[in-house]
Amino acid sequence: MTPSLRKITLTAHVTSSIGWFGAVAAFLALAVAGLSSADSQLMRAAYLGMGLTAWFAIVPLALASLLSGVVSSLGSKWGLARHYWILVKLVITILITILLLVHMQPVDILASAAARTTVLSADLGGLRIQMVAYAVAALLALLVLTALSVYKPQGMTRYGWRKQHEERMPSRV
Amino acid sequence: MADSSTPPRANSSDAVMRHGRGSPPSTPRWVKVFGTIVIVMVLLFVVLHLAGLGLGGHMHHMQ
Repeated sequence: MTPSLRKITLTAHVTSSIGWFGAVAAFLALAVAGLSSADSQLMRAAYLGMGLTAWFAIVPLALASLLSGVVSSLGSKWGLARHYWILVKLVITILITILLLVHMQPVDILASAAARTTVLSADLGGLRIQMVAYAVAALLALLVLTALSVYKPQGMTRYGWRKQHEERMPSRV
Repeated sequence: MADSSTPPRANSSDAVMRHGRGSPPSTPRWVKVFGTIVIVMVLLFVVLHLAGLGLGGHMHHMQ
């Protein structure tokens, strides 16, 4: 990968990751507003907004972050499986993306209930609390990903160690 | 996933100093801690969902 293309993919990765964090923070604000507000109009608006935020900001940004991260890693000398911090980031990103997609269903349930009725059913109380909990958990996971990118804790995988030895060999001959 | 800064080379880091050129570096402690936390959280998630606090609950609301 050329240096300019590498910088473009890195820019895409950083931007989508920051956007993902911001979108989840906005989702959390709406989830808290929906849970704590006594105003039924505000509550409905919050859950409708949560559905839109999740589908049109969180999901696309999560997929963009995952894809751009993989491309960026493969296009640089860091590689995708050479260093533990990158491998751990990849595993966590895949896990939270899967969890996000699995939990789009309850987001849709709340959004459609808010669109249909003026007063949300008491049955949905558990889901409303879950939305806050999931958003907090997602923010913590994204914070861990950011910290891994900044600190880059040492540790080379066996694969990375082997590849480095293979690359060094020709220069010694 | 990565950035443009130069990745450390095993021969210049202390990894090879500790382990020698013949043996691959051992898994760092932070990776083991992370792995344990991730496995525990995945198990917790599965157990919560099997207990009806997750997807089962979501499906219930749809009916």
